[in-house]
Amino acid sequence: MDIKLRRVYIISAILLLAALSLQSCYTTRLVSTHGVPMPPETMEGQDWYRDKMYGEYTAVVKTSVLTDGMMIKVPKEKCESGKLFSVEFTDTFGGNLLYMVTFGTRRKVKIKYVCMIPDI
Amino acid sequence: MAKTSELLVQKWDTLHENGMFDLKRQYITRHESKATMPSRVLRYNDVAEEIHRLIKKCIAEKEGFRAYGSRWSMSNIAHQKDNMHQNNLMYLDLEILADDMHPDSEYEHENIFFFECGNTIKRISQKLNEYGKSLKTTGASNGQTIAGCISTGVHGSAFDTGAVQDYVVGLNIITGPNATDNVYLERHTKPSLNDAFAHRINAKVIRNDELFNAALVGLGSFGFIHGVVIEADDLFLLDRYVRKIDKNLALSLSKTLDFKNSEFKIDNEVDQNGKPSRPYHYKIFINPYVDEDQYVIEAMYKKPYQMAYPDPFSKIEKSIYKDLIYLLIKFSEKFPKSIPWFIKSLQKSILPEITKDEEKITATLYETFWDAGYKGPAFACSMGVAIEDSERALNALVKMTKAHPIPGIFAMRYVNKTEATLGFTKFHKTCVIEIDGIQWDKSDKIPSLEEYGTFMIEALQAENIPFTVHWGKSMDYAFPNLAQHMYGNNVDQWMKCRSWLLSEKMANIFSNDFLTTLGLDTYQNIPNDFIESLDKNGQPLHLIA
Repeated sequence: MDIKLRRVYIISAILLLAALSLQSCYTTRLVSTHGVPMPPETMEGQDWYRDKMYGEYTAVVKTSVLTDGMMIKVPKEKCESGKLFSVEFTDTFGGNLLYMVTFGTRRKVKIKYVCMIPDI
Repeated sequence: MAKTSELLVQKWDTLHENGMFDLKRQYITRHESKATMPSRVLRYNDVAEEIHRLIKKCIAEKEGFRAYGSRWSMSNIAHQKDNMHQNNLMYLDLEILADDMHPDSEYEHENIFFFECGNTIKRISQKLNEYGKSLKTTGASNGQTIAGCISTGVHGSAFDTGAVQDYVVGLNIITGPNATDNVYLERHTKPSLNDAFAHRINAKVIRNDELFNAALVGLGSFGFIHGVVIEADDLFLLDRYVRKIDKNLALSLSKTLDFKNSEFKIDNEVDQNGKPSRPYHYKIFINPYVDEDQYVIEAMYKKPYQMAYPDPFSKIEKSIYKDLIYLLIKFSEKFPKSIPWFIKSLQKSILPEITKDEEKITATLYETFWDAGYKGPAFACSMGVAIEDSERALNALVKMTKAHPIPGIFAMRYVNKTEATLGFTKFHKTCVIEIDGIQWDKSDKIPSLEEYGTFMIEALQAENIPFTVHWGKSMDYAFPNLAQHMYGNNVDQWMKCRSWLLSEKMANIFSNDFLTTLGLDTYQNIPNDFIESLDKNGQPLHLIA
């Protein structure tokens, strides 16, 4: 194959992979039908979270045959009421790729959560 | 002690991004914790002291002060350039005991509730549901605070009920920097709570219909609304249907709301004689760019509450891909002729799904008008006309919109007459004609939102149709003589009441650009006896010092 053509193929493949891994594949959000979300001090975002105070948890977690699952505790300063209003999981192509190339030993976890207002 | 955080934000915007506005300082006040101050009344009074302190600070610095709730208003009604107080963390509710009721009250004690200003429609609904009660009506969503709703006249389409302010029976307002600048207002003809209750929240009582009705839709400028007393309803269910019906039938109902003698009939919704029942809610959706023979309408019928009904939240909601919409908007700024095409293309996503009889949705008011939060930069313009003028007004606005296309769709809702002096649902039955959609940028081919607002006013004036505008939505508020044109003598009455309640200094502090633009900020020297606290028969109780 022509070297130039091969280079074009390789660059295209890299660009495609980069584009796919940067893009969110899918977002699933579990939302309570009761409770009131904690409002933010200032409104800055341009999405569903614009009128909500939210916390985020992003990590690459190690898994093994001995690991059954993982528990993430919501930090108190981000969740005064201790009651969750919504939890969002984002599944990215990059995360799935990581899972595949590490044969399931590394998993990218991206969670966004909103807490309810405290009882006063 | 209540605590206030002070943010030097410089810029401030509404939820739907209708700004940006300049702002020096944003305050957020929180109550003392329940653990250290268990009494709700004490915490309520404690936070009132904090508000007095903030007002005192504004006086010292010769600056303005304005409260706001959830930033839902799309006009600049909530904005004040110096100091803005975000009150949505002030959401106490105070228990009303049977002993707190006024001896002349005709309200059922079980239906009377006291909520602090920052309570959202959502929280209030949940609280009332615990007691087997419901709000009588809400807007189409639940994120607004109660003080914000009444200050602008938020409404639904419960045409025999009214707007949110119409079930408010008492107002606790902080009017200045001193502990004595705290009033509890009621209508003298419809008292609800007694003086002892008002004294418990350190407020002096004024029972006077004129003052109450003026302060009710006070446009945020009658002081700091701290608490609101509402009359609730027994919890009820709504059966919701969405249909496509003949355009002429839909518009004929719009002009009369006479469902009983109309051809609009849903099999399950008939009286003992087989005549159509009267809905609780009626709404028409109109795509201005398509000449259709049929309109999509939404009707809801009120039913007694029962425990067993299918979960109304069970449908999985998928959001529309926002970027696609923005791309279309950007395209339409250059090529406005494409607007009718893309409104038609998105029609299925914008309009509610048509339901068959067996697909009706049964839900409480709270569940029916559940969360409808931020969905991108949005605009909405809303005008009120008497129902008899509704078809003519719609035709005039549609004709104008076809000449100046913008990315939005019309709807018509219906509201009972309000007693509020500047309530925009002022007609015996108001038809609210609204256009809402996604914000766009003015180009040489598409007008700005302000220009479109001017065209709306001009279109109705040209047809000689009396109208009002929704204070919390976008409009050309600088249109000459707009307030007087809409409300006539009520404007003067409203300004007199405001001038009576507030000192000149405080009237300036609670003023803003919105008020000035409309010419509603004029202060008048009003004699002390202009307003008197009256008994139920209209006899003066005492002169208010």
